[in-house]
Amino acid sequence: MAGKNCVAIAGDTRFGVRNQTVALDSNRIFKINNRTLFGMTGLNTDILTLRESFKFQMNLYNLEEEREISPKTFAHNVAQTLYSKRFGPYFITPIIAGLEGEDYTPFLCATDLIGAMEFPKSFVVAGTGEESLMGVCETFYKENMEPDELFEVVSQCLLAAVDRDALSGWGSVVHVLTKDGITTKRLRTRKD
Amino acid sequence: MFTLGSVLDNDFKSTIEDFSFETEFSTNQLMLPNIEKPFEFAQSIIGLEKDLQENENQLMFHQQKKEERKERALIKGYKGTTTLAFIYEKGTVVAVDSRATSGQYIASQSVQKVVPVNEYMLGTLAGGAADCQFFLAHLGRICNLYELRNNEKISVAAASKLLNNILYSYRNYGLSVGSMICGYDTRGPQLYYIDSDGSRLKNSLFSVGSGSPFAYGVLDAGYRWDLSKEEALDLGRRAICAATFKDSYSGGTVKVYHIDENGWVKISDDDASELWYRYEEKEKKKK
Repeated sequence: MAGKNCVAIAGDTRFGVRNQTVALDSNRIFKINNRTLFGMTGLNTDILTLRESFKFQMNLYNLEEEREISPKTFAHNVAQTLYSKRFGPYFITPIIAGLEGEDYTPFLCATDLIGAMEFPKSFVVAGTGEESLMGVCETFYKENMEPDELFEVVSQCLLAAVDRDALSGWGSVVHVLTKDGITTKRLRTRKD
Repeated sequence: MFTLGSVLDNDFKSTIEDFSFETEFSTNQLMLPNIEKPFEFAQSIIGLEKDLQENENQLMFHQQKKEERKERALIKGYKGTTTLAFIYEKGTVVAVDSRATSGQYIASQSVQKVVPVNEYMLGTLAGGAADCQFFLAHLGRICNLYELRNNEKISVAAASKLLNNILYSYRNYGLSVGSMICGYDTRGPQLYYIDSDGSRLKNSLFSVGSGSPFAYGVLDAGYRWDLSKEEALDLGRRAICAATFKDSYSGGTVKVYHIDENGWVKISDDDASELWYRYEEKEKKKK
């Protein structure tokens, strides 16, 4: 979700196989650089593979370009990587959130599993509980929220949506990205 | 075209009417839709995964794809549950969760999965909620009438047998009932598992539902005949809590009941997640 010169990404930390919960600490939100956060949902093996793949690509970018990648360029990179597997796709739904440019304008991007990009101004959702999330975010979102308020709203949206989805929960993490850095907090969620 | 199911139905309906002493109140008069082949129609509108697979070969609609049939399904099964019951020296313990899911959407966190049959018998609900609720309430009516007519309390074995016979007569109609009849009678604590397929099993412990494998793990490890009342209640509670933690389709609140010679009593009603956090803290303190 986007606020005033800040963005927040939140996700749950459950790893499950059909109905069984296997792990409670699977992190799916990764920091690309100080300006970009990248989250994925979907098939766990593809999440792990793409995490390594993008880490490699970003390291190479930093060495060749001698600068940090901007969120918009990274989003296009993600889309291109996903489309390269058009006929045997990665089963993930990525979300990119970052702060763009000198004046730290919030940038959000969501793509589908083969890289169709969307740049909404308010919030993006993904995962098994995305329909519930969409509803709650739509209700609670306001423009130009300060980081503290943004954190509250994002946390409450995630908790509410996750409590209505059988396959989500068992721990959650919220990252708030401002020009001063990233704050990470863990929320106490339901463990049933 | 005669199908095996309808032949059995005709035979069984006549024998059940002969031997049942509740004819005017029996459910054999449940209405069927006024169409040519009501039996097949009843199956075609069920959306339960188990029935779709089982009846794949039997139906004349087998040319249709399973997905199409599932979309046409008007009766959406609310599945996902964990219920358990066990008998021990001092009585019967029944513990249930309270979540109902429709696919992965949590439809409710506050479902009553224990239905009282009479003051000393409880039935649990698993599978189709409407089916279980109706048939358990009907069983309650029958047991009440038996008591009035015969001036003695009905035994758990007899009550479960009555329910079993009724459900067998509706076999293959797409009912989904996985109920446990738990009680205390002159023979001591009793526990029967009744299925909509027609099974009736007697044992000292059962767990039913999507979370039952996880509950069995805790239950089997801690079960003994000579548990104290506190230990037995705690065992039931822990087993359901473990199932709600591990199984995504179980959760909500954990309700524990106890049945002894004085009847059934609701012991506790705890939020499943809070209970888990409490157990975690206790473990940490021990270390």
